[in-house]
Amino acid sequence: MLLDNYETEDFFDEMFTERGGGVRPHYQRVADRLQLLDSGEHRRKQTAVDLAFMRGGVTFTVYNDDQGTERIFPFDLVPRVIPDTEWQRIEKGLIQRITALNLFLHDIYHDQKILKDRIIPPHYILGAKHFRREFMGFNVPKDIYVHVCGTDLIRDRDGNYLVLEDNLRCPSGASYMLENRAALKRAFPDLYRNARVQPVDNYAADLRKVLQYVSPPSLGSAQPNVVLMTPGVFNSAYFEHAFLARQMGIPIVEGRDLVVRDARVYMRTTSGLVPVDVIYRRIDDDFLDPTVFRPDSLLGVPGLVHAYRSGNVSLANSIGTGVADDKVVYYFVPKIIKYYLGEEPILPNVDTFLASEPQDRGFILENLGKLVVKSANEAGGYGMLMGPWASKEEIESFREQILANPRNFIAQHPISLSRHPTWCNTETGGRFEGRHVDLRPYILYGEKITVTPGGLTRVALRKGSLVVNSSQGGGSKDTWVLHSDS
Amino acid sequence: MSEPLIPTAQKPISNRRDSLVMLSRVANSLYWMSRYIERSENVARLLDVNLQLMLDFADFDDDQLEKHWLPILCSAGNEKTFFQLYEKADSESVTEFLTFREENPNSIISCLFSARENARQVRDQISLEMFETLNECYLFLKSSNAREVWQTGAHEFYEQIKKYSHLFQGLTGSTFTRNEGYEFINLGKFLERADKTSRILDLKYHILLPSVADVGGAVDAAQWQAILRSASALEAYRRFHVEDILPKKVAEFLIFSPTFPRSIRACMQHLDEDLHRLSGKERREYKSPEERAFGKLLSDMNFMTIEEILDTGLHQFLQLVQTTLDQLDDHIYREYMHHPPVDTQAEILLHQQQMQQQQ
Amino acid sequence: MIPQSSPTPEVKVAKVPWTEPILLSISHLTRYTYEGAVQDSFNEARLQPITDTLQHCKDFQFKIDPASSVRDYPDFYANCVHYFDVPQPHESLEVLAESEVQTIPETRGPVPEAGLKSLKAPSVKEQHFDFLHASEFVSLEADVWREAVDALPAGVSDVWNDTAAIGEYIHRNYKYTPLSTNVNTRATEVIKKKQGVCQDFAHLMLGLLRTHGIPARYVSGYFLNQHKLPGEIEASHAWLEVFIPGYGWKGYDPTHRREADTRYVKLAVGRDYGDIRPVGGTFRGKGTRKMVVEVSVQRIS
Repeated sequence: MLLDNYETEDFFDEMFTERGGGVRPHYQRVADRLQLLDSGEHRRKQTAVDLAFMRGGVTFTVYNDDQGTERIFPFDLVPRVIPDTEWQRIEKGLIQRITALNLFLHDIYHDQKILKDRIIPPHYILGAKHFRREFMGFNVPKDIYVHVCGTDLIRDRDGNYLVLEDNLRCPSGASYMLENRAALKRAFPDLYRNARVQPVDNYAADLRKVLQYVSPPSLGSAQPNVVLMTPGVFNSAYFEHAFLARQMGIPIVEGRDLVVRDARVYMRTTSGLVPVDVIYRRIDDDFLDPTVFRPDSLLGVPGLVHAYRSGNVSLANSIGTGVADDKVVYYFVPKIIKYYLGEEPILPNVDTFLASEPQDRGFILENLGKLVVKSANEAGGYGMLMGPWASKEEIESFREQILANPRNFIAQHPISLSRHPTWCNTETGGRFEGRHVDLRPYILYGEKITVTPGGLTRVALRKGSLVVNSSQGGGSKDTWVLHSDS
Repeated sequence: MSEPLIPTAQKPISNRRDSLVMLSRVANSLYWMSRYIERSENVARLLDVNLQLMLDFADFDDDQLEKHWLPILCSAGNEKTFFQLYEKADSESVTEFLTFREENPNSIISCLFSARENARQVRDQISLEMFETLNECYLFLKSSNAREVWQTGAHEFYEQIKKYSHLFQGLTGSTFTRNEGYEFINLGKFLERADKTSRILDLKYHILLPSVADVGGAVDAAQWQAILRSASALEAYRRFHVEDILPKKVAEFLIFSPTFPRSIRACMQHLDEDLHRLSGKERREYKSPEERAFGKLLSDMNFMTIEEILDTGLHQFLQLVQTTLDQLDDHIYREYMHHPPVDTQAEILLHQQQMQQQQ
Repeated sequence: MIPQSSPTPEVKVAKVPWTEPILLSISHLTRYTYEGAVQDSFNEARLQPITDTLQHCKDFQFKIDPASSVRDYPDFYANCVHYFDVPQPHESLEVLAESEVQTIPETRGPVPEAGLKSLKAPSVKEQHFDFLHASEFVSLEADVWREAVDALPAGVSDVWNDTAAIGEYIHRNYKYTPLSTNVNTRATEVIKKKQGVCQDFAHLMLGLLRTHGIPARYVSGYFLNQHKLPGEIEASHAWLEVFIPGYGWKGYDPTHRREADTRYVKLAVGRDYGDIRPVGGTFRGKGTRKMVVEVSVQRIS
């Protein structure tokens, strides 16, 4: 009933085939269950979920918000469903991508062959904000730079999966993935059981294995002490840090809990100083150590980088991955995959133009009103121009910025992201309407590479909006990868 | 909190590598979370009891009101701050100051705020129900209708605060993992409780002179009843002492009673057990002068009589209890928190070495 | 008291670079005293003289008081960095670096001509990327750009000659004035003040050179001061090196308007002061601290 009058309009819809068409096979069970739902039952289930999230502190803090208070990341009850075959392809593509990026990072910090072979103009890397020249020639444990990666995928009008960006510094959201699954199991237990969904609960255990795998070799066979380092309770993602630490059964520490003695890292405990071997750090490189990086950082540990350099402590992700987090590097990823693996990318990039590449600059400047322009280094959807919806002043301002600093801007055609039935409250109760979604799977790189089935589906809750980030009014859904195709 | 100590930098390096270690900062937060909740409950009870008492003495003039409320104000607030905000000390101003004022670090709202802040710092240590309860209590206090509830029915208001505290402590008992953190929570609770009980008794110290042991007038009797009520001890006392409320007996009960769980001695007994569990030492073995002083006081209390205390002076004895507990707090701090959390101490801040300009 | 070395007085003879090899004994002491005891001190030092074709560090002693274990690593610019920590409470920290360095005369021959075109070669721009762009102390924005145009109105015609010309321009328009700036002064502020000490002149000149596309890097080190007053305490010195295509790096001292010859001993190179801090670090405690720096450069032979 609530799905009656649902409009797919001119977008690829996850649940329904084209306008007037039927339900996709892998969504049949969900659609059937939703037909039995009335707005009263929906309201009860939604309220229960929201209350549980709020009281349990499954929240985040918004920086730009006046209140500066905690908010729940709104959760929509309708799961996004992916059939098994489709997922297998996505998984292959993600594994290919992270393998190439890891090789790229190793190369950049050692022989820089990809620069010498002129695949990427060197100035992009040398001038990159997050290129850590201090770590040239440094050998990271097991040669793994990126242990945890969150790659954002979208679908175009034809339903093709495209990579929107790679998040290789401190990708967040895995905790929401786990909490959303728990919430959906409580809300629709029968549906869940019958649908036969691949579990995501192994994430914490898998992550822990990865962290243990990269412990310092000097430790030998002793059980490594792994900790999670957080900026603290005032960080917007603190909930996730505490949650993951708890799930993995490891201590959560802040910079002030650690101390370096003799190039080794210790935790300050009630029993004295306890050695630390691996740090899963959710703090950016810049803030890690005031002796070496930003001297004003109160979040870091003086001497940590020296301990890291001495090989007495391992960090995940390694120092220096930020250079690959840059949208400029994103532009070159298809070439990177070809260079290191000799393969075509399984998951293509969104067609992108780089303002500092001569062949692209003219095109970008002439078409600002039609393109989406992004700053190469900002995260979270800030510093972005949505050409078709922008005012003349905004466009001119961006033109100036691009001309002043072309290396800092990429542009793409606006994509009609796929849509998904999402609950929308109205005066008369509510109904399901289509809202744009993306997908963030999580990839773990340890002894082997694992991709958690599904990940976080983010949804832009405002009608017509394409912005899905938590800090700007997005919400999320549970993501189901089925064991089979329907 | 006590004066910041610059700790000695050579800490023992533990050979533990497991994940069951307790961070000093976490121990500190659990300890203070517990102390602040206990404190808020005690203030709530104190105010509730005294407000009800005032119903019987509606004809008190301003002077009498002030005389009644000032000692209470001083036990849970700062007189100077109070008079910056209010003109006179009466039922409404004092209870408001001790309930809602954030300028008063010991008001109920300040205590709950601090308790919640400390709990947030250790979210991953406490159970979900514990945090939810504390969160709800705090949100209740911050809500716009808290004042309305307080104004229309103060008793219901304070009952609610106490209920939250009891719920929190009950949940702690039933859901908190029995690790070191549990000892610190208990240390905080019992230390605060012993301290507050001694202060409640101290409110009436000037009445008890060595030669006076009889019941005074009706006002006095009601006030002694209030003392017992403030310590949640009235029914327990009545079960023990069938006859009237005698000041000497009340003092004895609140200090020594082995069966009443809120008596100073009972609290100190718990403290002693928890300290030994933490230190791993044998009974009657103590780690520092402060701990030893505490042990000695407890031991003395096992053999003292109320007459001996009244001879030397009740107030002096209660002061000794408070000082000993204060020093015990220092000991806990130094022994287990080792390095104090850097952001609570202005002295232990990170600074840069001065840089030399090249000439 | 901030130590100063007196700038070389105007010498009315042609500036001939020293070419004889010199054996120098150098001592560089940095002493911090704190208010009350401090602890958990973590530090890095770039105090070991380089060994390359122009100088040979024959002996180097590094002493810390209170004693602590010292480790080292090479940084991105191949400077030797010593790092050490002092965890226990202490009221003072002394870092003493003593070295014996043999300077070696230039063997590369005369500096060839290198014009604008040679600077535009991709290999130059890529290999010396760091020394062509803005850095923490050296911005390349409007103020610096304008000053660069004034310093070299016709643009680059020959790298080494133009370097000397820019050096002359600075000498005419800027005054060496101790205490007019501090260790954090940026190049743009120097332009406004029109005065500074050698660290500032180096930053300023780096900005001007880089604006014109000449790769230039900051050099930290010492020089033999012949006009030193007896007992006068010296400080470490700052100059720069420019990259001359077809030749390599060559040192120029804007404070003394001369080529960096065998009187000069290099400690470290980098983009600016931020990359070569002689001693830097953090500690915990009260913030108040005093610093004394004593440098002595003696000629042995």
